[in-house]
Amino acid sequence: MELAVDIKDLKKSYKNTLALNGIDLKIKKGQFYGLLGPNGAGKTTTIGIITGLVKLEEGSVSIFGKDIIKDFRYTRSKIGVSPQDFNSDWFFSIEKLLLFQAGYYGIPSSNAKPIVEKIMKKLGIYEKRKNKIRSLSGGMKRRFQIAKALVNDPDILIMDEPTAGVDVELRHMLWDYLKEMHKNGKTILLTTHYIEEAEKLCDYVSIINEGRIVSEGKPEELIQSVGKGSIDVELNKMNKSKLDFLEPFKYTLSTKKDMDKIIFSVNNPEKSLPKIIDILTKNNCELNNVRILKPNLEDVFVSLTGRKIND
Amino acid sequence: MINWIGFSTLTYREISRFFSVWRQTIVPGLITSGLYMIIFGLTLQKRISEIDGVSYTIYILPGLIMMNVITNALNNTASSMLQMKLLQQMQDMLITPLSNFEMALAFIIGGTLRGFINGILVLLLGMFLVQMPVEKPLLVLFLLFIVSWAFSSAGLLVGILSETWDNIATILNFFVTPLIFLGGVFYSIDMLPPFWRQISLVNPIYYVINGLRYSILNIGDTSFSISIIMTIFMTIVFTSISIWLFKIGFRIKN
Repeated sequence: MELAVDIKDLKKSYKNTLALNGIDLKIKKGQFYGLLGPNGAGKTTTIGIITGLVKLEEGSVSIFGKDIIKDFRYTRSKIGVSPQDFNSDWFFSIEKLLLFQAGYYGIPSSNAKPIVEKIMKKLGIYEKRKNKIRSLSGGMKRRFQIAKALVNDPDILIMDEPTAGVDVELRHMLWDYLKEMHKNGKTILLTTHYIEEAEKLCDYVSIINEGRIVSEGKPEELIQSVGKGSIDVELNKMNKSKLDFLEPFKYTLSTKKDMDKIIFSVNNPEKSLPKIIDILTKNNCELNNVRILKPNLEDVFVSLTGRKIND
Repeated sequence: MINWIGFSTLTYREISRFFSVWRQTIVPGLITSGLYMIIFGLTLQKRISEIDGVSYTIYILPGLIMMNVITNALNNTASSMLQMKLLQQMQDMLITPLSNFEMALAFIIGGTLRGFINGILVLLLGMFLVQMPVEKPLLVLFLLFIVSWAFSSAGLLVGILSETWDNIATILNFFVTPLIFLGGVFYSIDMLPPFWRQISLVNPIYYVINGLRYSILNIGDTSFSISIIMTIFMTIVFTSISIWLFKIGFRIKN
């Protein structure tokens, strides 16, 4: 399949700090690609280099086979970017700013007007079109930021922490919108440190830490690679001296007040659950509560780096 | 291939920016120059009735025009550039298919137009208030344009180098304003002692004022050819350095 983004051996330093230490990424056309990592891992720098905001020092980046330096007009016209940080403007309304943005991409004002209007309506900022950025709420600013990324109808959409600081409702609305864009054929590169976001949206994920890609693959494959999940069973009544029937399982016991708890460590919690319930009930255990704990990308990150992603 | 639509959009934005705050960018220069004409003209003209055969009020007018041109052109690009950096607006442009050269040029044109408009307005005010003659109108227009361009480029340079508003204020207050005032706005350098006369001759702004004074009043302390050569030289130097710094992304790209 055609590569939308091809990054080879990207290195970048800020003064004495190594921000990127040999990043390689291949994003296929139409992929919803997640770049997952903690703050300061190198996500924004990678995006900055792809989009021309940060100077390229070592390595190469191509967009649909064209070099981002030699063919910058082509590559930049293919990309829409929603940066992590909000910017501001003291002089113009958000509608005017979107029209300017379209103009920078070479779209004549007469063509840009209906495009901008459609995007503003879709993102729910049309009513605020005469406002200046500073008068918008955080959520509205985020919508405006995304609208700016869409004015040139890009083939590749780069979203740098698009749901940072937004409420749950808007987060879900943005997720739905991104899914819709992806369904319509856009290649999306999403950076996030929200595990749930990466798991829900991305069909391929790279985990970045300290300027290096430490692992990559489909989210479910990465999760499977760390293996174990668990099933927590709370019991009202249990004879601790007769637990031989649990021998086929790997488990630990804990007791809190009048409640006993067995924690089963299993590879596939959903598959093992019926078997565990069956054996417990057959042995006269009175179940009070059952909870499945599946591994997620956070566990993948912890297993790779020894620390949590949001530490 | 040039991104004409992108370039004209950014140029239009730069022009709209200063027009949208015309009370701050157009009117003050006009008021200040009018006050200079009335106060300096009326008070000092009693003591210095004329210089080189021209009344004192009219003699200072070319200097006042250049003072407006220089400060407005320089301020426009310097403040626009710094504001874009501080408010993170630059990234909206840097991610688009605009070349650095096109961006730099759009900034310079914006500042040039502000300087030029301010110069023309003060010129018209002088013609209206004190019946100032204009001996070589085409040359006047050319000088107003090229000086606006030169100092708009200088402003871009200042904006690129600056990281705070304080940096811009320092350059304007400690370098540009003294150079303008010592450049012969209010006097002929022939009135100075020989040492200070020599010092004035190394001030580039002196040549700019002298050139305009010659074009408007047909008088000057130094040869017009030297003034025009110095003005063109300054324009080339400021334009080249500012475009080069923009091109390499100095203090613009991370």
